Amino acid sequence: MAETVSAPIPRDFDRAKRLQGELVKAYLQSLSDPAARGSRRIGYAFVMANPIEILSAFDILPLYPEITSLNISYRGGAPPLIALAEEEGYSTDACGYVKMGIAAAMDNVQTILGPIPKPDVLLLSYSGCQIYIHWWEQLHYRTGAPIFVLDIPYLRDFDGNIPKHDIEYVAAQLWEFVEKLEALTGRRFDEGNFKETVRRSGEAWGLWRRCLEMGKRRPTPFDAYFESIYYMAPITFARGSEECIAFYRVLLDELQRRTEAGVGPTAEERYRLVFEGVPNYPFFKRFWGLFREHNARGVASTYPKVAGMVDTGSFRLDPIRPMESLAEYMIHAYCNWNMPMRTHLIERYVREYAADGVVIHSIKSCRSFSMGQGDIREYLAKECDIPTLLIESDHVDPRYFSEAQMRNRVDAFFETLSVRGRS
Amino acid sequence: MSTSGPLFAGIDAGSTYTKAALVDGQGQLVATSIDMTGVNILAAAKKVYADLLAKACVGEGDVAFAVGTGYGRYKITFGKAQVTEIACHAKGAHFLFPQTRTVLDMGGQDTKAIRIDGRGDVVDFCMNDKCAAGTGRFIEGAARAIGLSLAEVGDISLRSSQPVKISSTCAVFAEMETQEQLAWGNRLEDILYGVHAAIASRAIGLVRRVGIEPEVTFTGGVSLNRGMKRCLEEQLGIRLNADPLTMFCGALGAAQFSLEKMTASAVT
Repeated sequence: MAETVSAPIPRDFDRAKRLQGELVKAYLQSLSDPAARGSRRIGYAFVMANPIEILSAFDILPLYPEITSLNISYRGGAPPLIALAEEEGYSTDACGYVKMGIAAAMDNVQTILGPIPKPDVLLLSYSGCQIYIHWWEQLHYRTGAPIFVLDIPYLRDFDGNIPKHDIEYVAAQLWEFVEKLEALTGRRFDEGNFKETVRRSGEAWGLWRRCLEMGKRRPTPFDAYFESIYYMAPITFARGSEECIAFYRVLLDELQRRTEAGVGPTAEERYRLVFEGVPNYPFFKRFWGLFREHNARGVASTYPKVAGMVDTGSFRLDPIRPMESLAEYMIHAYCNWNMPMRTHLIERYVREYAADGVVIHSIKSCRSFSMGQGDIREYLAKECDIPTLLIESDHVDPRYFSEAQMRNRVDAFFETLSVRGRS
Repeated sequence: MSTSGPLFAGIDAGSTYTKAALVDGQGQLVATSIDMTGVNILAAAKKVYADLLAKACVGEGDVAFAVGTGYGRYKITFGKAQVTEIACHAKGAHFLFPQTRTVLDMGGQDTKAIRIDGRGDVVDFCMNDKCAAGTGRFIEGAARAIGLSLAEVGDISLRSSQPVKISSTCAVFAEMETQEQLAWGNRLEDILYGVHAAIASRAIGLVRRVGIEPEVTFTGGVSLNRGMKRCLEEQLGIRLNADPLTMFCGALGAAQFSLEKMTASAVT
């Protein structure tokens, strides 16, 4: 049952979130305002496994339809876009990101963020989802923008080792992509600058990792699921820039100050949870509230790692071997991981972050993320005796969120945790 | 009935029925009451609570603590605390059948599988997703299509000798499918058996997810349905605990929580 409603985090300890808001605003403005964008081309890319450093080398501004969609949904603007796509014939069962992305790319369509600029280049780098391939093909048919497909092999080895030939296979495709972009833009690839971008990316990844590992503190100074969803934005769209590094320095400093001052996202830390799955964006704050009311804090989570598996030792961007290290980063995309690796990562988080339980939020839209979550729940609950809750809604489509049903499950989960603590 | 000493109440505001139970200071059942929930949850809860007190020949002042449960638990303003019906069904099943380790609660709009420990506390649970297939609504739809009451369909299904296969995908489609089967000339009892078997298969999927550990107690409004109980027992291959009080398990558990909370606050 709900007991405490947490006070907001004091302003002085929430600077990183405001800075994140400013960076997102500037980023969205650079996309929508022709003056801010200048002569830069727009390259559509996916969040997971994208070589943003190569796009930057050609001064191509990355646009992530997943990010614009979640921003639109967070602001309550998803239903008209979803309706428009469904009127076009897209199934109610099709992914919400896809429907919103298709609708936003239609002629003369306004969104809550304004018109979304059309792509000059479509980079398809994500192999975790078949539907995404068809999404990009649709955009290619509708806009005429050239489509570049990078084939990323699945991670088949249960220990996470990548065969050498897989790295060479992806790296060779990245070099080919460079050649294509040279032809498209008429610019020469500046390898020196590119290596410097890769180095800056690596530095930002290192800082982000240190921030995430602050979740091991007791109490954790931040919510490693709900707050990380804000904090993961710069590593996603501003990777390789000085601004990105500066952001994670501010965040790390803030988390250290929070630790010293005993400030956190809830009045106290009663429960420590590991979260798996994409959040609910249209009701994000209410969704978070279901857990905050119980003074529960996320200490580790998988979703903020969709931009990169930063805390698993899976990759390390290296300017000495930039393409190979980018290939390793891309192959180690979360949804490219096999199920045993995903399952054991969650189990490991529970141990290393001293969590009381796991919450899995399954979304109707995403088969590649949600597939296997029932098995993950069973493994954790039955084999590891870890209390695990599976709840269901969607990440962007508000029609799938039923607060009464979800509250019932969440409240019952906390009742179970409180009884375990007693015994 | 009259009693002495403080009493402890539980009110379960379910989607279809509101149930209430009263226990004494030793946790022994004193009275139960039930009525349709309707559109006004608080009014239904007040009425059922008043009936409960009348049956026990006591006044509100005799009740030391009341806990609300069910979907409408936050609307029960006269309750002093709220507990989810998941924990309450576990506690109630443990009260009625102390060897219970697995609870299957089948209500009007949801079905829950709950694994519990020897004290009646929840260890793990699973619920149906946002879909009425596998719940009481599914039987209700089929019964309505035939023009029978909920109480009748279970008993009729027991006479089946050549069960008809009914799809378990959707409660709304089940209504249509029932009418179709009738039009094709299939016998009523065989169609109704198919309806019950379809729900049982969905519910058993949930129970398997939490793990089946005997004894299994069948709770909620549908536990009164003998046809449903038989289908579940046939498919699970084990006997289920169920009796006229198992439909009150949510309220019974809430009453036990009232007693526990009062005892805990007296200690602290």
